Amino acid sequence: MPVIIHTDKCNECHGSTNPPCVRMCPGDLWMKDPKTGKILMRNPSDCWDCLPCVKVCPQEAIEFRLSYQLGFQTARLLPHIHDTRDFITWELIDTKGNIDKFTIRTKILPVELDEKIEGVTPDQYAI
Amino acid sequence: MEKNVIETDVLIIGGGTAGCLAAVELKELYPNLSVTIMEKAHVDRSGCLAGGMNAINAYLNPGETPESFTKYVRFDSCGLVREDLVLSMSELFEYTVKKVEKWGLPILCDEKGNYVPRGRWNIKINGESLKPIIAKAAKNAGAKILNWVTATNFLISDGRIAGAMGFGIRNGNFFIVKAKATIIATGGAAGIYKPNNAHDAQHKTWYSPYNTGAGYAMGIRAGAEMTSFEMRYIGLRVKDTIAPTGTIALGVGAPQINSKGEKFMAAKYAHIGGDGAPTPYRSHGPLQEIKEGRGPVYLDTRHITSQQARDLKSAFLDMYPSMVLYWAANEIDPSKEPVEVQTTEPYIVGGHTQSGYWVDVNRKTSIDGLYAAGDVSGGAPYKFVSGCWAEGVIAARAAGEYVQKVGFAEIEDEILKAEQERVFNPLLNHTHKKDGINHYDMEVRMQKIMEEYAGGAATFYEVNEERLQVARRRLSTMPDQFQYLIAEDLHELMKAHEVIDRVYVAQVLVEHMMYRKETRWPGYCTRTDFTELDDTNWLKFVNSRRDPETGNIEMFTRPYEQIVPGDRYKPR
Repeated sequence: MPVIIHTDKCNECHGSTNPPCVRMCPGDLWMKDPKTGKILMRNPSDCWDCLPCVKVCPQEAIEFRLSYQLGFQTARLLPHIHDTRDFITWELIDTKGNIDKFTIRTKILPVELDEKIEGVTPDQYAI
Repeated sequence: MEKNVIETDVLIIGGGTAGCLAAVELKELYPNLSVTIMEKAHVDRSGCLAGGMNAINAYLNPGETPESFTKYVRFDSCGLVREDLVLSMSELFEYTVKKVEKWGLPILCDEKGNYVPRGRWNIKINGESLKPIIAKAAKNAGAKILNWVTATNFLISDGRIAGAMGFGIRNGNFFIVKAKATIIATGGAAGIYKPNNAHDAQHKTWYSPYNTGAGYAMGIRAGAEMTSFEMRYIGLRVKDTIAPTGTIALGVGAPQINSKGEKFMAAKYAHIGGDGAPTPYRSHGPLQEIKEGRGPVYLDTRHITSQQARDLKSAFLDMYPSMVLYWAANEIDPSKEPVEVQTTEPYIVGGHTQSGYWVDVNRKTSIDGLYAAGDVSGGAPYKFVSGCWAEGVIAARAAGEYVQKVGFAEIEDEILKAEQERVFNPLLNHTHKKDGINHYDMEVRMQKIMEEYAGGAATFYEVNEERLQVARRRLSTMPDQFQYLIAEDLHELMKAHEVIDRVYVAQVLVEHMMYRKETRWPGYCTRTDFTELDDTNWLKFVNSRRDPETGNIEMFTRPYEQIVPGDRYKPR
């Protein structure tokens, strides 16, 4: 499973009908569960590991994991966007728990918590 | 089911690398034109650039010219390339790169403010947010964006492309977008062959698994002329993660070695540049080592310092973060051990090789009203990001001029009705609880045929006439099976059309591989029955056109024209 969602951190972007993670997936994989309103991934094996959903989440609730066939637990890679939005610090934790950090320049554009889709009502998102 | 009917002067299908730049160029040149982008995901993070980029790999560093670039690309493509197209795109590298830098892309500069070169054609960027930056520029320019609308077929009227049809993957609406000119910029095709990894890593691919050849398939169905599908792209990539190797090979100067520690590229391919040999040879060389029992094959990084290893990781974080996690999760330090490499599944991608629409220098296709840019457009390899930008600009300029003299076409209702039925049939099959085929099952069937008979990784990408004939015969049954596809929801409907489109691409691909009776690009398409490069008979382009009435694929050739003088097999 390439990405996991920390449900304790996810606040569904305060009732957003179309939150950033759902919008930013190039594979149309994230969706709001029509029954519970929670965020879920339709088919994790279709994930490309491209990370826009991870980076865009304001709660850092989505974590990227390597498929187990490719790497051992419990290595982790956690991007933290600086408040100034011009740097990302990547926190890398290896299987022994050693932490390394990489701070890299970028240009993060602000992302709204919600975005209306023309001609669509919220109950139509999931069919 | 609702219909959305939209009229726009120019329709751009695909809001990715080429599409966004095309939109900006059109609105800058013709502020009064209406420009609409049809995008199957969300433009902010769609297409190949979703994960980011750490370099611009087609740029003219100091001392280089469009001619020197074209010479290099011709060498890299084993002597056969559309030189007019490569020249025209390279003339716009600086224009497009400076433009995107102005929009906010961080580009690494030295203390004098000059870009930091990485090799002859590469500059380093911090491109993690490259995609949202160009998407914002397209929005700011005034392009109308249709997110989550996937294109399914062109609108055709009197032999002219007059827009496109598609459906909304979030609202299920049938979209009819009438346009005076259309730019197709949907990217290439992944997932035609078995992916490198299985199970929950099946999409751990290098090329975007969401680029599924829609633009090729729409053109094939419309009878557009296609070129060079047989020049598949099979890249040398980092083992397991399928991460790009240029970051390592160019970034820290790492040669390929086999399990005996031999620098086999330098030893066996010195006459064509050793580790700097044309790209297909950099895949062919290691494949031969593995085939002959001297694998695994590596990029030798053991000479780099720990600081260089950190820089390498930083570079991957801008583009391919899973590479860094992979090293941590497998206790690999690239400064202490070499990085194992492998070759990818075969992709059809006109931005790296030259498979795609046959276009003129203005990126006009063989059908009036239709222009092609980026990975979907053929004849001009080595585009990468900036070449796709350049082609978006070229296509936009030509399309903008074209719309001045044409109006909207009338479309017959029968065409719309037939397409609507075709598009939504898999959903209806589900509603009517029919017995049928899941998109995934059909994908696996197609991939199995291609893998085993049309030169997949399992056969070292080798093909011969007999194997290809089996592939042709088995694929020929598949279009009759489309009627049985079942989709439970709109996401699955999209996936169903993704597999339908790839079958059309696969059929054309097999014909192309069968037609070129030589091995021009070993590694990309190695023919075991015609093993040599044959300039006497095959220094020309293999093109195809599918007859929309009969479905027959006609094969023919187009001549090669040398514009830049010099030895076609030399990089300078």
